[in-house]
Amino acid sequence: MRVAYAAVLLLALAAGCAGGQRDTQVPEPADVATQSGTPQPSPAATPAPGAKPPAPRPAREAVPPVAKRPVPAPALDLNALEAQLRETKAIGVFTKITLKNQVDDLLDKFRKYYAGKAKFTMADLRRAYDLLMMKVLSLLQDEDQKLASAIVSSREAIWGLLADPIKFATFQG
Amino acid sequence: MNTVTLARLLLVAAVFAMPSFAADDEEALKKDLTAVIALHGQPCGEVVAVKVLAKDDYAATCKDKNKYHVYLNSEGRVIVEKQK
Repeated sequence: MRVAYAAVLLLALAAGCAGGQRDTQVPEPADVATQSGTPQPSPAATPAPGAKPPAPRPAREAVPPVAKRPVPAPALDLNALEAQLRETKAIGVFTKITLKNQVDDLLDKFRKYYAGKAKFTMADLRRAYDLLMMKVLSLLQDEDQKLASAIVSSREAIWGLLADPIKFATFQG
Repeated sequence: MNTVTLARLLLVAAVFAMPSFAADDEEALKKDLTAVIALHGQPCGEVVAVKVLAKDDYAATCKDKNKYHVYLNSEGRVIVEKQK
């Protein structure tokens, strides 16, 4: 239950900023794999011996210059995020409850979708997720940048939980 | 300065400090309700006045003159109703 709440809030938090125009909900490595198969502009294919795993960079440049996220998200610690969300003073109590309501609504939509009772598509869900994240981030970014960054970093990981029916079912339990 | 004088000074300071705490609380509440109304997609701009009707039950007046009843219902949902 706590995890569900955390994920929900995280969800909300994470999704926001990049305004989701990536429906390729696959984490970074997949992006890279896909793109390395295709002819790339000329990005020295694998700037390999570089410092970190900067593989995503070339991919980013091929896509519209949206996010300048440095590196793939670190391990997703939902409990820590949940705690930070509960604690943050950047969001008032009523606002937190409202966000939780909206997260619950989104989770209901996923449940309906996976039960085959929905008229909307996964792309619609992604849009809703992104919008919710944007709301959360806009509430946090000025007064709790650390948490906002943590959420941005977890954004794709959270989406990964939601967009996979098996993981979603586990996460619900 | 003896102890009595010091105590009086502290008392006076406390009395003057109190309204500012209250003002801070009210500002936080206005900000909270502003965000809630915006999250519900309602026009407001900014909440400029709040009347506490009951616990978790408020009447908010916005800068753009819109008024809303904002409350927590029994199901734990925050409801925003536009008032005429």
